[in-house]
Amino acid sequence: MSQDKSVIKGFALADTTVRGGQYVGNWRVFMPEVDYEKCVGCRLCLLYCPEGAIRADEANKPDIDMRFCKGCGVCANECPQKAIGMKREEEAKK
Amino acid sequence: MPEFDVMPGNKALAHGVRLARVEVIPVFPITPQTTIIEYLADFVANGELDAEYIHAEGEHSCMAMAVGASLAGARVFTATCSQGLGYMHEVVAQAVSFRTPLLLGVADRTLGWYWSLGPDYSDIMPELNLGWIVNFAETNQEVLDMTLQLYKVAEDYRVLLPTMMSLDGFYLSYSQERVWMPDQEVVDKWLPPYKAPYPVDPTISDKFPTTSLPPPLHTTYRRLFEEILQDARKVIEEVDSSYGKTFGRSYGGLVEEYKTEGAETLLVTMGSMTTAGRRAIDKLRSEGEKIGLVKLRFMRPFPDLEFRKIAEGVKAMGVVDRMMLHGTRGGGAFQDLKSALYNSGIRVPVQGFVTGMGGEDIPIDDMYLMGKKALQAAERGRVEKEVEFVEHKFQAAAKPVAMDWGEPIFPGSDGCAGCGTSIIIRHLLKILGKSTIIINPPSCSGVNFSAVVRVPWILANFAAGAAYETGVYRALRKKGKADKVYITSYSGDGGTVDIGLQSISGAAERGESMIWLCYDNEAYMNTGIQRSGSTPLFSATTSTPAGKVWPGKQVRRKNMLMIMAAHRIPYIATASLSYIPDLERKIKRAAEITRAGEGLAYLHIQQPCATGWYFPPEKTVEIGRLAVQTGAWPIVHVDHGDFKIDVKPKELRPIKEYLQPQARFRHLNDEQFEIIQRDAQYEWDALLELEKRGKFPGY
Repeated sequence: MSQDKSVIKGFALADTTVRGGQYVGNWRVFMPEVDYEKCVGCRLCLLYCPEGAIRADEANKPDIDMRFCKGCGVCANECPQKAIGMKREEEAKK
Repeated sequence: MPEFDVMPGNKALAHGVRLARVEVIPVFPITPQTTIIEYLADFVANGELDAEYIHAEGEHSCMAMAVGASLAGARVFTATCSQGLGYMHEVVAQAVSFRTPLLLGVADRTLGWYWSLGPDYSDIMPELNLGWIVNFAETNQEVLDMTLQLYKVAEDYRVLLPTMMSLDGFYLSYSQERVWMPDQEVVDKWLPPYKAPYPVDPTISDKFPTTSLPPPLHTTYRRLFEEILQDARKVIEEVDSSYGKTFGRSYGGLVEEYKTEGAETLLVTMGSMTTAGRRAIDKLRSEGEKIGLVKLRFMRPFPDLEFRKIAEGVKAMGVVDRMMLHGTRGGGAFQDLKSALYNSGIRVPVQGFVTGMGGEDIPIDDMYLMGKKALQAAERGRVEKEVEFVEHKFQAAAKPVAMDWGEPIFPGSDGCAGCGTSIIIRHLLKILGKSTIIINPPSCSGVNFSAVVRVPWILANFAAGAAYETGVYRALRKKGKADKVYITSYSGDGGTVDIGLQSISGAAERGESMIWLCYDNEAYMNTGIQRSGSTPLFSATTSTPAGKVWPGKQVRRKNMLMIMAAHRIPYIATASLSYIPDLERKIKRAAEITRAGEGLAYLHIQQPCATGWYFPPEKTVEIGRLAVQTGAWPIVHVDHGDFKIDVKPKELRPIKEYLQPQARFRHLNDEQFEIIQRDAQYEWDALLELEKRGKFPGY
């Protein structure tokens, strides 16, 4: 009985070390804009971001990775300070 | 009804079923079959078809309902494919001896081994040899016409056998073609209602079909059924010719020949690939090659006699298979054709091709190439290589975005914008960490997250999620690893409350120390929003549309809390993605309990779904919160029998606040709102009483 891995033929494998997300920023219609003055650093947006695209900066305020933000607007909807606004992508880029 | 319309194959099939005035339709969703049952649901919901439409809890039951209904004398239709057909298999085999002339539509799709949504015949292949009549359609028009024809064939007392129609997933199921629509009155005359010779109905018949047969008669009955099948070819031809006379379209018998006149070489095809085959033949003919095409219209009965006749005048045949008979070196049609010729004294080289597996396209160029190879065989009088696999280079999809990321799940998934289950799975994995094994019965989560998690993600078969999980758990326990890894399901509501329930019940009763996590978006979202046992009352889904006759879903949802509590497992909790600290506490408690080996921990988490409940994506968390505050989704837990409500508003908010933002409840009238309101209040009061009692009954 050979138990040498090199003799294995046609064995499709998934590898947990080479996984990762795709660039989905181009899904956005609306883009979140954070008003850092209003933000109190409660981190609720981090908790609820469906994509996990938000990380906290030193002041606990959101740092949104726009490569992964799909523009769903959950962060803006949940922000108790109304510190996140959703703007049409083209306007936000101006 | 217009004379013709442009429609996908699945709709053509549904129209065929409507025109045939089918009486009973059991259904269960699976891609790419699902839209057949959606169109039928629309017909029934709007009173265009008067049929018993049954929402089965799985395909095994679905086919059993079909057989039961046919036994009782009804004209029956159901449809499935792939994994669903595999799961039906036992009942598919049974249907034959019960003599049930039902029609099963199979929108072919690869049967896992490796999964694909695209069509090959690996799903229908294991069903070929059970005694069914098996037809393969090439066009959407043929789909509609054969729906009517197959009922007439099957219900003929010389036949009385179940029939299966294959329509290739995607290529036919979703592709739009022009379809001529027969007139209902003419159909009614041509296809009178089914009258079962011996219906299971003691008011009219003392005799009924039995499956009891003493072993010495089994060989005899195998012979009889083979004779019936072989003789059915006469009925098939008769029906086709009568259909032609009445409706102006006919297809021939078991095979259809294309440009075979004077042909010395033949390409044999089946299903939708035939159309590409025809174009390749046109091209080869224009180059002066003497080649034609034979389309296998029926795989069972196999057209052996027809092929013996056809083979007499030719020098070689090439058979294109989208079906691999592993261990025989070649494809199904190839092997059947070869054995059909073997004892006939005809010696023609037969070249086998296997291609288009997993739904890969078989383009005209490939057909042309295969035609050329068959021509070569004719020229040489032998085949170089008996079976050729026509393969294509794989172009890898985009690589994942490289990033420094410590968490066990990456951003950048395929989940919809505002997807609620994204929120749940991120928090689950954050707590359980990298030494977690996820068992995932088919659901949108598998499609969306399996590529972005850093933990093993095992796609389980739909009905057996908890059984896969049990196997993994027991093996790791045996190897002394049970306290080093977490094993959890990540299952949708279909995989939990419907088709998966039996295996969960087994695991619960045996006390398997693992987590069952159900993310409940209250319908089969992966196949396109069909109702599940967890869909709430009056909710409109694609299989319970609100129409002139139907008010949406007509029954209440299952109460899984009660069902699991009846198993007396150590931990049961309902939770919501809108109450994250509570959700995290519950995941931690489930982890503790399973690690201590105390038994199954069951987590049922409501997941508002913007796509399936029809609300704007930014409202996902808000809707979840409203569900809890209106009593639509109480969040509670049972820890070793101790019952507690975790979020307890002083007074429930009116349920309308939760229902109105969701378009799945758009059609509700005041009376229906009132019924749902009463339900919620009644359940809430019962929970409050239960909390006063403290201990859950039965523990």
